Amino acid sequence: MNTNFKTKANYDSPCDSDNEWTNSSNDSKYSDSESSVPEWDSDVGEDGELIYIKSKAPQEASNDNKAPLLENCETFKLRNNFKRSSTRRSTRGRIFKVLKAHKLKKSDNGKKSHLGIEGAALSINSNLIADDKVIVIQISKNMIFNSEKNCQIERLFGIRLETHSDGKTLLVSDFLTEAKTIYSPRIKEGYYLNKINGIDVNSYNINSVLQRIVEDHNHPKLTFKVPDEGYTLDIEKLLLAKDSPNNILMETLKESMCSIIYLCCNDIEYNSNDDKGVLYCYPRPYNQNFLYNTRGAYVTLNHLAPKSLGTSKPEIATVLYNNKLINVTYTTHFSDLLLVAFPNEHIDLFSTRKVVTDVVRLLEFLYGSLKSCFTKPNNVDKLDNLFSRIYVMLLYGSYKGKNECKRTCYLEDLLGAHSVTLPLEVRVQIDDAITELEAADYREWTDDVENFQRLYTVIGSCLYYSAHLLSSHLQDEDLKEVNAYLRLSGILRLSCDKDLEKLVIWKEVYIHEHRKQSKNDGHDYRIPDGRWFLLIVGKGHFILATLMEAGGCTEDAIGVTPPSPFYVEECESCLELLYEVNLNQYLASWFDSNTQPQVETSPEYLTKYGRKMRDINSLKSESTFKSSTLKLPKSQSDAKRRHNSSEHINVGSVDNMASTFGSHHSLYMQWYNGSQKYRHSSVDVSYSDDSNSLKSNSEISEERVQGRRADRERTRRDSSGSDVDWDRQDGSRASGSLDNNMSDIRKSLLSEINRVTVHRITAGEDNVLFHFMQFESEKGVLLAPVKDIETKANNVLYSYILKTFRSACKKIHELLQHSLRFKRNHAPCNPLNRILVAVKEYGMLFQVPSNVLSQCGVNKKNTEIFQFWVVGRIFSEPEPRELYVCYHESVPQELTEIAYSLSYLE
Amino acid sequence: MSIVVIAVGTESGVPIFTRRRGNNENIQFSTIASLHGINMFSKCHNLSMIDTHVDNGTILWKEYCKSITLIGIATGGLECDLELLLSCVHDVMIFYIGKKELETLKSIDQIKRELRQCYPILDYLLESLDPNAVSSPLPTLVLDLIQSVLCPQAQQLQQALDVYAESVTGRWACLCIHGQVIVTSSDFQELDPREARLLCLLTAAQDGAPLRDTPVYLPQMSPNLAFRAVTCKLLADVYVLVICGATPALSQIDEIVLQCWEGYAQIIKEAKLTHPRNFPMSIVFEPCILAVMVINVIKQRCVFSRHLHPSTQKSRGMSGAHRMDILRTFYVTSARDLAPEMRIKSEENDDGLADMTEAYWCSEYHKCHAQRLGNLLCCILYTSSMQIHTIRMITNKLLQDLTTSKEVHW
Repeated sequence: MNTNFKTKANYDSPCDSDNEWTNSSNDSKYSDSESSVPEWDSDVGEDGELIYIKSKAPQEASNDNKAPLLENCETFKLRNNFKRSSTRRSTRGRIFKVLKAHKLKKSDNGKKSHLGIEGAALSINSNLIADDKVIVIQISKNMIFNSEKNCQIERLFGIRLETHSDGKTLLVSDFLTEAKTIYSPRIKEGYYLNKINGIDVNSYNINSVLQRIVEDHNHPKLTFKVPDEGYTLDIEKLLLAKDSPNNILMETLKESMCSIIYLCCNDIEYNSNDDKGVLYCYPRPYNQNFLYNTRGAYVTLNHLAPKSLGTSKPEIATVLYNNKLINVTYTTHFSDLLLVAFPNEHIDLFSTRKVVTDVVRLLEFLYGSLKSCFTKPNNVDKLDNLFSRIYVMLLYGSYKGKNECKRTCYLEDLLGAHSVTLPLEVRVQIDDAITELEAADYREWTDDVENFQRLYTVIGSCLYYSAHLLSSHLQDEDLKEVNAYLRLSGILRLSCDKDLEKLVIWKEVYIHEHRKQSKNDGHDYRIPDGRWFLLIVGKGHFILATLMEAGGCTEDAIGVTPPSPFYVEECESCLELLYEVNLNQYLASWFDSNTQPQVETSPEYLTKYGRKMRDINSLKSESTFKSSTLKLPKSQSDAKRRHNSSEHINVGSVDNMASTFGSHHSLYMQWYNGSQKYRHSSVDVSYSDDSNSLKSNSEISEERVQGRRADRERTRRDSSGSDVDWDRQDGSRASGSLDNNMSDIRKSLLSEINRVTVHRITAGEDNVLFHFMQFESEKGVLLAPVKDIETKANNVLYSYILKTFRSACKKIHELLQHSLRFKRNHAPCNPLNRILVAVKEYGMLFQVPSNVLSQCGVNKKNTEIFQFWVVGRIFSEPEPRELYVCYHESVPQELTEIAYSLSYLE
Repeated sequence: MSIVVIAVGTESGVPIFTRRRGNNENIQFSTIASLHGINMFSKCHNLSMIDTHVDNGTILWKEYCKSITLIGIATGGLECDLELLLSCVHDVMIFYIGKKELETLKSIDQIKRELRQCYPILDYLLESLDPNAVSSPLPTLVLDLIQSVLCPQAQQLQQALDVYAESVTGRWACLCIHGQVIVTSSDFQELDPREARLLCLLTAAQDGAPLRDTPVYLPQMSPNLAFRAVTCKLLADVYVLVICGATPALSQIDEIVLQCWEGYAQIIKEAKLTHPRNFPMSIVFEPCILAVMVINVIKQRCVFSRHLHPSTQKSRGMSGAHRMDILRTFYVTSARDLAPEMRIKSEENDDGLADMTEAYWCSEYHKCHAQRLGNLLCCILYTSSMQIHTIRMITNKLLQDLTTSKEVHW
């Protein structure tokens, strides 16, 4: 609620003259929202849906880590309030305009077909990264390599080539041992050989080009191209694509044996349909789709199994086609059958099950039911896009380095929404911001409450940062569905990879509660027969997804319903609020800090040899002033230092400000108003767009805080917490105290990072915890260390441990499901194995192979073994909860205790 | 639980046999035809169905010898490796009628008739998977292991066995008590563990016949040329089996048996006393241990025991059969990962669990722990009150005892 009060308070204070404020913020990023047409307006599709993405240029994005700390200064924060006041004021003034516009839009739907221009906008927005890395290597003509196969290219250049799947491009497949030193590390396997002596080469002309090389006296020059990472870079493009995906993508998916098909199996439809009951098939053409060709087998088995074999319906099958193992899942919808296939090398049986559950969830969420999804008219292109996106996301969209994670999906994401532990204050802050959005109490924006009916009721929202769930106010099922949408369509991935400047997605959805309700009618507490919309707004690494309901107490949504600028802005301002308390920076360093609970990312320190190494290191570092007794990873100590310094600046500037205000303000004011633009552009070049504008704002506000206002601020700082009478009480709310809270929280957030308390959840003197996962299946929320912990650790042993942990977890998870199923359903139709249902805990002890150990420098001479446990346990009370822990063998652990201490951190 | 194994001629689609166990109904001919049709259809499209999972079960097609398709259906929470079962069934078929006959499949009716002799062993295999039938003294609790007894007399008996094998000009011989191997001749290792297991099953299927010879094909060693397996009853539930050529005649063997074994009657009787415990008395078990299963990974032999403590606690809430079932389930679902070399599925090679050395389960009523030390893998069922670190110590100590004990001969 804070923003609203503040706005009100600031706005009413006499020294703010409206015009000046709006003018001064004209060149801030809010300038665009001042105009009545939002920038995404032209991207709204004919069906009212919207996907608008604008990401910052990559080099600016990288700057975010070294975010300008000046923003932490008290002065700058004050200015933030002003900035907000200006925006909100504009909104307030605009709300009626918007409503009117909305009404108008509704009335003349037909005219809205001038959307041809959007293509142009897209091409600008997407694909900012265009430069292909090119590496040139010169080979001495005198060198002749030993080629066993007597192959010209091997003899001349010492490399082996293969053709890319397109049949034309040449790829480096291997190096001859003698030649390895020439190429590595610059050229790796999989790079393209583009040119020789400047001539483009491909599989057709390579021989003739080589002939020329042999005759040529000069040293040949090879030009290699670094392959782009498949489709990973193009998530943005994929998200924006409106027409059906391009052929190359379709071919790639076809080759990797991804396939999806939806058939209706009842006689009437079967006969009336041209394609023998096939309602949808991807990738096409039909006759090249292996699922299409062999669908008879699946359909027959699907009939046969429950009727004649007395088993349940088939769930998943593994088939061998073209020497590739493929997992095919069955999903039945009344008499219809949805088959989805994934290549086993990318997505194993376990992952396929989980992914398809999510895919089905997603389809039902977006279309109400599987049937309506595949029978909706003119929907093929959209479905094509959706599935190509899903496949690309799953096959190429791994978070880690592409080479490593080729085989499997990221386990944490498969199970549920990946969330992290946050300190209480931060959580309160986030929840507060979301609650404010959900309350949607905009009495302040309009005086005409009686005649104004709201358009939507917010029924819940959830907030992500860098693909980690921070908070969810959604119902459990809704969260699962929203999470499935965000993850499978790559939005989370996008928010992780890129620093978004603006992302707005608007989609009509069918919420779980409504779908279920229509099946069994006559419930007492019916939810209204309305429509539901998912509004996703992103900024920076934040993604805020909000479910809105139209119907019931709000205006009914009829016909094509484009997003309402007001609600988009509401969501944006919710994110703004988080930026205001510097949550973006806080989270960045929090994610780096590895504190709650701390995991040991340098496992070799737990060996004798490692201890010695650590002691030596710590001695060294102590001698160079910095003590690192906490064994914090480097990034964290960096973060600490950074915030230390910011604190200094903070304190200093406050003092300065207070002392100088009285005397110089009038002079400064003139000067500032005049040269503001100039300063803005010259001084802050290094900062990102975002900070830039903040800063420019801040300078103004610093100067504007004077007179009564400055006094007020000062008193507030002095006597924080007390309700000062200057506050115009707005309604029943005490905005003053809240305002105070805001700055308090900011302070505490920052200071918190300074005195990071390292939490450990394992027993024993050393931290023996390597990784953990806590999964609540009912809620669909999974608690685990941050996603890039492995990258940050950058440690062979740790990566090995994580890999083992994940595969072990899959196995443990599957076993523990027996117990869950038993508890959920006491008289199952299929008798369960009574031994397996009783298993509560499953542990495995692993021994690290010596080659891995020697890679991290441990175990050169001594034959010390390194063992670690992966243990999973299920807690059925009060809600089912699975806990997976990975720890060093040296200290025995009790999982119940770990779960206990973990619950305190949550 | 229910399990069905169906054999169909691949080309003709003629059902050859159906064996089932559990509470399922008989599978109709049309169903078998459809099931077979699914497989044939997908084959036409160069697609082979590896396996299909239903809720709580599996359906599996497997084609052998390019002539016979085995279809296995397991449901009802049965923890077994269906693929392993089907390959065992296939082994049994070759064992009795030879590979050539199966491949050519000249006269289906004749083959059907010949395959009837497999039924007892096939039924043993299926029955051994049934948790409700564990109490029956079957030698196949675990499909891929040969059940044995560790007795201190093994060395002496092995000498006698070698002499006996030599005198009947045979190569491979084994001595079984209750269908569990006590001792084998020195050359017995040459046999594939799966062949050895079939031979043990054969002795178990003798039903008290004093002397009998059966022509058998060894699936790996000589799938097309029959050997002669001579089984001879020495004492009640004690059989000696030898694989030999056409000579000597059965009557001569009868005499040779008498010569060779007469002096060993006492030793065999002593060895027989080891039986329900299956471990030498010098191996002592802690009172918290409810049941034990020790596996020799290289030889693919295992020793089960649930009679660990002489006659004190009769029933502690858990029947002996149930204990065996728990350990068996533990081994099949979890502890087998400790012995990756025993996997038959080579395609799913790297699931990241290859470096496991220990595993445990805590259930509401008991704890299971498995540890591997060299070639020995030990799975132990403990009372639920035990702590994991204590359990680990006890298991480790038992493994040490087993490796150092002079009375343990595998």
